[in-house]
Amino acid sequence: MGLLGALGFDPRNIVFSSDTSEEQGRQFGKGRGTVDCCYPVKCMSGHYGELVFGQKQKLDILLSPMIYTLPSFLSGHVAKTLTCPRVMAAPENIKAGFLKEGDAFAENGIRYCSPFVSLDEPLIVPKQLFEGMKDALPDLTREEMARAVDAGYKALHAFNDKLRKKSREVLEWCAREDKPCLMVVARPYHMDPGIGHEIEVDLQAYGYPILWMQYFPIDADLMDWAFGDDVRAGHVKSAFDIHDVWQSSYSSNTNEILWGAKVAARIPWIACVLRMSSYECGMDQPTYSPVQQIVERSGTLFFSFQDLDSTKPAGSVKIRVETITHYLEKYAADIINRKKAAMPPGCPLLPAA
Amino acid sequence: MVGVDVGSTTVKAAVVEEDGKVSWQDYQRHNTRQAEKVAEFLERMETEAGLTPGQDRIFFTGSGAGFLAPLVGAKLIQEVVAVAACVEKQHPNVRFVSEIGGEDMKTIFFTETGTGKSKQVYMQSACSGGTGTFIEKTARKLQVASERLAEMPYEGMSLHKVSSKCGIFAETDANTLVKTGVPVEEIIASLFEAVVYQNLATLTKGNTPMPEVLLLGGPNLFFKGLQEAWRHHLAKLWTQRKIELPAGQTAADLILVPTEALYYACFGCVEIGRGEKPEVGVYQGRDKILWWVKEGQHEQKAKDGARGLITGQDDLATFVSEYVRPASACAAQREPYADPVLIGCDFGSTTAKAVVMSEERELLFSCYALSKGNPIEDAQSLFRQVGEAGFTNMAGLALTGYGKDLLVDVLGADVGVVETVAHATAALHYYSDADVICDVGGTDVKIMILRQGTVADFRLNSQCSSGNGSFLQGVAERYNIPLEQYADRAFEAKAMPSLTMGCGVFLQSDIVNQQRKGWSAEEIMAALAAVLPVNVWIYAGQLQNLRAVGRKFVLQGGTHRNMAVVKAQVDFIRSKVPDAEVVLHPYSGEAGAIGAALCAADWKKNGGATRFRGFETIAALTYQSTTAAETVCKWCPINCTRTFIDVHLPGAKGRPWSKVPLAEGWERVISGNSCPKGLVEDVNEMRVVKAKLEEVKRDYPNVAEMVRKDAFRRVSAAAVAQ
Repeated sequence: MGLLGALGFDPRNIVFSSDTSEEQGRQFGKGRGTVDCCYPVKCMSGHYGELVFGQKQKLDILLSPMIYTLPSFLSGHVAKTLTCPRVMAAPENIKAGFLKEGDAFAENGIRYCSPFVSLDEPLIVPKQLFEGMKDALPDLTREEMARAVDAGYKALHAFNDKLRKKSREVLEWCAREDKPCLMVVARPYHMDPGIGHEIEVDLQAYGYPILWMQYFPIDADLMDWAFGDDVRAGHVKSAFDIHDVWQSSYSSNTNEILWGAKVAARIPWIACVLRMSSYECGMDQPTYSPVQQIVERSGTLFFSFQDLDSTKPAGSVKIRVETITHYLEKYAADIINRKKAAMPPGCPLLPAA
Repeated sequence: MVGVDVGSTTVKAAVVEEDGKVSWQDYQRHNTRQAEKVAEFLERMETEAGLTPGQDRIFFTGSGAGFLAPLVGAKLIQEVVAVAACVEKQHPNVRFVSEIGGEDMKTIFFTETGTGKSKQVYMQSACSGGTGTFIEKTARKLQVASERLAEMPYEGMSLHKVSSKCGIFAETDANTLVKTGVPVEEIIASLFEAVVYQNLATLTKGNTPMPEVLLLGGPNLFFKGLQEAWRHHLAKLWTQRKIELPAGQTAADLILVPTEALYYACFGCVEIGRGEKPEVGVYQGRDKILWWVKEGQHEQKAKDGARGLITGQDDLATFVSEYVRPASACAAQREPYADPVLIGCDFGSTTAKAVVMSEERELLFSCYALSKGNPIEDAQSLFRQVGEAGFTNMAGLALTGYGKDLLVDVLGADVGVVETVAHATAALHYYSDADVICDVGGTDVKIMILRQGTVADFRLNSQCSSGNGSFLQGVAERYNIPLEQYADRAFEAKAMPSLTMGCGVFLQSDIVNQQRKGWSAEEIMAALAAVLPVNVWIYAGQLQNLRAVGRKFVLQGGTHRNMAVVKAQVDFIRSKVPDAEVVLHPYSGEAGAIGAALCAADWKKNGGATRFRGFETIAALTYQSTTAAETVCKWCPINCTRTFIDVHLPGAKGRPWSKVPLAEGWERVISGNSCPKGLVEDVNEMRVVKAKLEEVKRDYPNVAEMVRKDAFRRVSAAAVAQ
C-alpha cells in the first residue's frame, strides 16, 4: 500500500486476493494448476484466478512480483537473504497455467506485471520496479518510482515496528504475571489461514498469547540480555549471528527460523515452540532437527505440525492441541523457572526493581 | 493376435483376426486361480478360435500377467498403456478415462497438445477405497445378489455417511445403517457415491475431467447406479466449472460406457502388438503354464515361504522367558473397600473401560462395557460394576477417549484427559524411560513418540483398518480357533507365506490365495501376525525410520494380548533397531483407563475435592433422546443423523437458544455424529461458543491475527505513512 499509494493509486482501486482457501482453489484455480511440489506455490493459481475471474470490477493490472531477496532483520549478519527459488519463480510457473489455453489475462483486459525485485537491496529496487512496471504504467518516471519505493520501505518498517512493539508488550505482560506464551516458528505464509490452518488460534483459545518469530522484538536491551554473554565470549559476532547453529545462511526465512529457535530457547516465558511446515518443503527439511534440538536443549516444549497441505486434519489437530495444552498446564511453571535460572539477572522485560 | 488381461478378480481375453474383426472373446472370474483360468482360456481359444502355437501372437496385460506371460511366450504390456492405446484408437474425442477394477483404480487424462495428445495417468492399488471390491464386499454382507446389485439405482436415493476411504469401515458403517432401519437401496447408493467421490478425490490431482468421458472396467460397466453417480457428479462439476458442452449435447451424452469396455485392455494389447516386430510374442503353447499349475506353484510355495514366527525351540523359550501375556487387571469380586480411590474411564468407540486405583497408585479393579452407542448407558454399566465390587469412597474421577467431552459434566468428572496423554501417562508410569508407545486396539492404531516426558508427536489411524487387531480376530473366528489359542497355534507354524502389506480387504483375498496354495490355518495365522507390524509402523504409521524415534518401545492396546503379535513386533522392531528394548505393558488392554486414573491422582495431589455425582445419582440418571429433523447435523453435506440425549441434572444451564430447546436443570449430550464438528449443535451454539472465544482472544493476543488484519488493509497513503 505504501508503494502503490505513493504512485498515486486510489486505495479503493487496489484489490488483494483473499486468504487462501479450498473454495478459492476449487473455484478459480482448478484446471490451471501447474506442476509444483510446493503447496503454497500451488495455491497461487487460486489467487491469480480470483483476481482474473472473480472481481465485480474488472482489473487493469495484475501485479505479482518475483522476489529474489527479502529485507530481513538478520541482513548483514548472515551470508544472504534469498527467497526460496520456488517462491521466486512461482509467478512464472503459475502464469503458465493462465496462458495454456489462450491468454486469460488479455482476454479479461488485464496486463500481467511481474517485476523482478531484490527487496533486500533498496538502492536497486527503484530501477528494478521501474523497468518491470513501466509498460503497465506508461507515464511513470524514474523519480516517481524512487519516491514511491522510499514510501514503501517506510510503510514496511512502520508496520514491522508496530508489531514488534506489540510482541514486546505481550512478553512484558508474561514476565510481569509470570505466565507462559507460545512462539510459532514457521514461514510467513503460515499466517495465511488456508496454509497454516490457524492451528495457533486453537491454542490461543486456551488462553496462551501467541508470538511469531518474524515479529520478535529486537530492541538492543533485550538482545543484549539474551545474547550478550555469547557475544562477549566470542561464540557469535552479534545477537543476530547464527553461524553457531547454521553455517549456510543463504535463505532469508530459513535464517530467521533458526534465529527464532535460538531466541525462543533463551526467553523464559516462551514455554513452548510450535513448528509448522508445508508438505515436503525442501527448505524446511534440513532445519527440522537443528530447530528441535535448539529448542528442546533449553527445556522448552516443542511441537511440530509438518506436511501441511489443503486438508486440515480436523480430528488430529484437536487431539494435538489438547495434548499440547495438557503438558503446558502441567509443566509451564517449571519450564519458566528453569529457564529463568539459566539466564543472567536483569531481564529488561521485567519492570525495573 | 490375442490379447489377455489377467486382472485381480477376472481374466479377459480376445482373439482379433488380421482384418480387425474380433472372432472370440470372453471374461470370467478366476477366484484367485489366475493360472488355471488362463490355461483354460488358452485351451478354449485353441479349439474354438484356432489359436496355433508357433504361428499366432499373444500379448498379456493386467496386474497378474507378470509371471504368466513368459510361460506362454507372450509379451507383457503395461495395463495403462494398453487401455490408452485402445481408447485413442476407438474414441479420439475422449479426454478423461476412469477405469475401476476389482482391486485398483486408474484415471487417464488426455490433453491436446500441438503435436498430438499428452497422457497423464494416475492409479492406486494399495487401498480398497474407490474400487469394485469396496462395493461388492459390503453388498455381500447385506446379502444383495450380484444381479440385483447391478440394477440398483443411485438417482433419487437419499445418501448416508459411509467411509469412502476404507472398505472394512464402510462395511461397519453399512451395518450400523441397517440397524437404524435404512433401506438397503439407500446404502448401496451411498456406496456408489463413496466410490465416485474417492476416485475424484484421490485420482484427479487438481485436473478437471473434461468431456468426453469414458468409463471402463467391470464395476463401471455392470453397476447401473455407479454410472448414474458418475453422471451426477461430472454434470455438477461441469456446471460448476463453467465447462461448455458441444452444442446440442447434454452431459449424459458425453459420458460413455462402451459395452465392450471389459476388453479394452485386450484390444489395446493387440493394437500395440501390431506395431511390434513379427518375432515378438509368438505363442508357445500351454505346456509350461500347465506345468506351473500342477507343480511349479507348489514348488514356489516352498521357496517363497518365510521362516515361521519362531526359529526353533530356543527362540520360543527365550521369548517366553522375556514376555508374559498381560493379565487382565483384576476383575474379581472384592471385599468392601473403604479407603479413598481414584477412577479412570476410557470411553472408546467399541468398548468403555474403567479402572479403580488406590491413592498410592496401585491398580485395584477393572471392568468394561461393550458400547451400545449411548454413552450414558455405557457409563451407568461401568459404575454399576465399580459399585458392586465394593468401592464407595471416591476421591477423583478422570475420563478419556472419544466420549470424554460429553460425559465430564454429566458424571461430575474432575479431569478430561486426551487419549494421547492418557496412554503416555500409563506407559511412563511403568517405564519412565520409554521413547515410543505403540498402541494397537481393535479398530485403531496409535503410535506416540515421547520426548521430555511429553507426547512430542503421534500417529493415529482410524480412517483405514490396516494394522488394527479386529482383522486377526475375524480370521481366527473363521478358522474356529479361540483368540486365546491364537498365539500357541501360530507358533506351531514352521514356515509361513509372506502376505502383502496394505489394505485389509486385499489381505483377505491374499489369504484365500495362500490357502489355495496349500498353506494351513496355523501358517496363515502366523503370517498375519507377522505382517501386522509392517502395517502398523510403515503402512499406517508412515514411519520408515524407526531408529530415529528412539530405542525403548512400549507395546500396549488389546491386540498385544495376542503373544503371536508381540513376537512379530519384537522381531520387527529389533530388525530395524538392533539395540531396541521392547517391553509389553502389563495391563495392555486397560492402558487408556489407567492413564486417566493416574491423571486423576495428579489432580488429587494438588488438593481437589471431587465433583463426582455419586453412584446413586449416576444409576438414577434420567434422560430423553431426540432424533428428529432438528437434530440432523448441518455442518457438512453428509448430514449425520444425530441423537440429542438430554440428561436431567440439577444446576445445568439448559439451552434456551436451541432448535430443540432445553430447560434449565438439563444437560445435553450429542451422539451419532461422525466427526468432532457435530458436537456443536448448530449456528446458534456456534455463536455462543464464538462469543466466548472472542473474549479469550482479546485477552491473549496472537501476532498473526494482527498481521492478517492490517497487512492487506486498503488505507490511504497518508495513513500508511503514519
